[in-house]
Amino acid sequence: MKKNFKIIFLVLAAILFFVTFYYALKINNKNNPKVMLNKVLPTIELVSLEDKTTKIFLPMENKDKYFLLNIWSSWCVPCRDEHQILSKLKDKIKIYGINYKDDPSNAVSFLNELGNPFYFIGTDRNGSISIEIGAYGIPETYLVNSQGIIIFKHVGPINNRVYSEINKIIK
Amino acid sequence: MISNLGLLFLVAGSLCTFFAIFIFIKDNIIQSSIVYKNFFVFYKISFFLIFSAFVFLVISFAISDFSIISVYENSHTDKPLFYKISASWGNHEGSMLLFILVISFYGLLFLLSSKKINITLKAVTIFFQSIVQFIFLFFLIFTSNPFAKIYPIPVQGLGLNPILQDPLLAIHPPFLYLGYVGFSLVFSLLLSALVTNQYNHNWASISKKWVLLPWTFLTFGISLGSFWAYYELGWGGYWFWDPVENASLMPWIAATALIHSILVMEKTRNFFSWTAILTILTFVLSLFGTFLVRSGVLNSVHAFANDPERGVYILFIISLITLSSLIIYILKFPIKLNNKGNFVLFSREFSILLNNYFLMFVLTVVMVGTTYPILLSVFTSESISVGPQYYNTILAPFVFIFLILMASGPLMNWNKNSFFSIKNKLFVFFVISVALTFLISFFVKEDDSIFLLGILCSLYLIISVFYEMFFYKKFIFIKLNFPRIFSHLGFGLLIMAITLNYFFSREITAKIYLGENFSSQDIKIKFLNSTSRQEKNFQELFGSYEITKENKVIILNPSIRKYVQPQQFTSETSIKNDWFSDFYIAMDYASDATTGIGIRFYYNYFVRLIWVAFALITIGGIFSLSIRKNEKKF
Amino acid sequence: MRSVSFVTLFFLFVFPQICLSLIEREVDMYKNIRCLVCQGQSLNDSNSDFAKDLKQVIKKKILEKKTNKEIYEYLTDRYGDWILFNPPLKKSTILLWAIPGIFFLLGAILLIKKTQLTTLNRDN
Repeated sequence: MKKNFKIIFLVLAAILFFVTFYYALKINNKNNPKVMLNKVLPTIELVSLEDKTTKIFLPMENKDKYFLLNIWSSWCVPCRDEHQILSKLKDKIKIYGINYKDDPSNAVSFLNELGNPFYFIGTDRNGSISIEIGAYGIPETYLVNSQGIIIFKHVGPINNRVYSEINKIIK
Repeated sequence: MISNLGLLFLVAGSLCTFFAIFIFIKDNIIQSSIVYKNFFVFYKISFFLIFSAFVFLVISFAISDFSIISVYENSHTDKPLFYKISASWGNHEGSMLLFILVISFYGLLFLLSSKKINITLKAVTIFFQSIVQFIFLFFLIFTSNPFAKIYPIPVQGLGLNPILQDPLLAIHPPFLYLGYVGFSLVFSLLLSALVTNQYNHNWASISKKWVLLPWTFLTFGISLGSFWAYYELGWGGYWFWDPVENASLMPWIAATALIHSILVMEKTRNFFSWTAILTILTFVLSLFGTFLVRSGVLNSVHAFANDPERGVYILFIISLITLSSLIIYILKFPIKLNNKGNFVLFSREFSILLNNYFLMFVLTVVMVGTTYPILLSVFTSESISVGPQYYNTILAPFVFIFLILMASGPLMNWNKNSFFSIKNKLFVFFVISVALTFLISFFVKEDDSIFLLGILCSLYLIISVFYEMFFYKKFIFIKLNFPRIFSHLGFGLLIMAITLNYFFSREITAKIYLGENFSSQDIKIKFLNSTSRQEKNFQELFGSYEITKENKVIILNPSIRKYVQPQQFTSETSIKNDWFSDFYIAMDYASDATTGIGIRFYYNYFVRLIWVAFALITIGGIFSLSIRKNEKKF
Repeated sequence: MRSVSFVTLFFLFVFPQICLSLIEREVDMYKNIRCLVCQGQSLNDSNSDFAKDLKQVIKKKILEKKTNKEIYEYLTDRYGDWILFNPPLKKSTILLWAIPGIFFLLGAILLIKKTQLTTLNRDN
């Protein structure tokens, strides 16, 4: 009798163990995207790539319902991949770009080659601006609302799935 | 061609294993025959087939047959032959094949060596072993085929990561596998004994060597990993409580408790439950470690090719094996073996009971620290890291008590309250330890309480071991218990070395310009000059540093290597010893010496004693395997 | 003249000591912070660009007289508790310390039950 209880308990424990670790496998360890969600975007000062005298502050500069913030650079291969999708988004939403640790002339060539989807591009020569907003690997994209709250964040190049998610939100 | 042969032999080996299992079930279970010849023959053939498959894989790597995906991803024609060969187990598929080969090897070893064992016990052990073997073979062929092909055949491979081209790193996996995978055999042996109602006092004598052999390999494998990390990684440390390190440590802890349990089981008729549970626990922890390391749930320095999908299969296999073995234990554990009386205080078996409790506590701490981040992220959406400070803070006080136990336990008698016969000796040890500790503390000018405790307790153990060697047994060779002497002495020296290293090591991080120096207290580092050279696949920038510490002056020459294919930097350490301590330096990545170069300098106090300690523990294990016939007297 | 010699003395003796403890504090912090783009390395041990950038940001904050707590908060606000190697003491991490504690107590209780706590038996 007692043995049966022990066995049932064991089977339940085994199932619990399996399900727990199975779930652990499914959720990726890259938990960073969630940390900044629903927080206000820290104030950053962006100096224009094209003209050093022009500066803006985000998120206060924004008056629209939503805007995108995208960290990229000319030497980043996945950034090329997502550029097409950024271009598609260009007419639906304002995209602010942060050119990360890049040579300005290379950045300009990159845009000349692939097109410029950005409403404004700021430079982050030493990486401190990206750190200020909690980024660590480019490309990274933030979807921010008019209150300055980050409602969506994606690490890595924007793929079609992310594109449709962004579309859904900004409708 | 070779790859086809390899796959052929692998599939043949699996079929052969399956057939062996089938024959056993048909002949010996259904028809209740006690003739096992056919079964054994098929099992032996399965070993040779699996071994051949492995050899073919190694050959494929050696000849750079890029038609095989694993060779393409992990090798390169420019690699030296030794590293081409070691690349065969340096990837998921190849290492799983090696894993299976070790299971099969231990089975074969058991089959061939155990002449006096009851034939049924032997056969059922091989039966369980072949089931485990088959499960993994099935998993290998269907989810991780090492001979999987790629078309069109690439001209060149991808695998030229310089960090992986290191002799110690190359031989580290085989030793680890001979270690923790080897516990599969004692696991099968246990299940066999339970099922055939032969789990008794004799089982302990039979199984002892099948725990000691893998334990020795595992001790060596872990020591090797620690040694490699120190020499190669450039952080001056030898243990990081990294999740992957912990994954190999956990079965080691359980196995150590198991060894002591078996000793008690042999000597007194006790600890039957402990031994059975620990046997299952050890093997399950080995499997769990394998899972943790390959599945991608952990984030660590040991970046294997993480594949969550395969992780699910391994997870399923572990759950299955654990559940079935525990069910067999519950159903078939002889009730009459349950502990009748209480333990006698201050008896040998009581001290080993305490020992087991301590080891289980350490195991719990390591397990909690390693899996807590994973579990937390599953049940909440938070993630944390658990760094070395957690383990060091909790474990330090327990290690000190543990050392005292290790010193007193072996002096106690079996089944007798030995307090009065040993209390004088213990007091003398205590007095000597305190005196020596004061001396050392005075000499090195350190009076931190943790330091004093660490030195005191390790000395206590060391003195106890020496007492046993020279006075108790009067150094009569025959009577000396070499395994215990070496391993316990080794452990005492290990904790002493760790304590000294922790308190007296120095670390200097600085950016030094060419021709300038940097001083910190009694150490001066001068950047003398820099040279560079060009090798076939890398460019090397050497820095020449003059280190002055008190009166000692030495020159160290670390370097930075810039590899071309793939583009990568490595930092090569430069180490010179000072008796048991090391002068150790590594440079930060820089392309030239025109701006300052950052350096990390360590004076690693008594670090070499740690290696000596590891060696002694391993030697203790080796001694235990060559036991003489009349070993009754310990 | 006197002010010059004072300044000289300051730079010869006091400044290096201040620098030393500043460096120690920095190194201790770097050892506790995870390099996010590396596998398991701390900022102190990592040569990666991200680690270098983050170290610069932290250096700046130290010069701005921020305390360790403030700097760690800055980091965890942006990257989560995961970036620190020493887990914070929160409701969710209490079990981390409680489980070993519970096991220890359980073990102690079981041990006491298993042994004869009556008078010590004298041997022979």
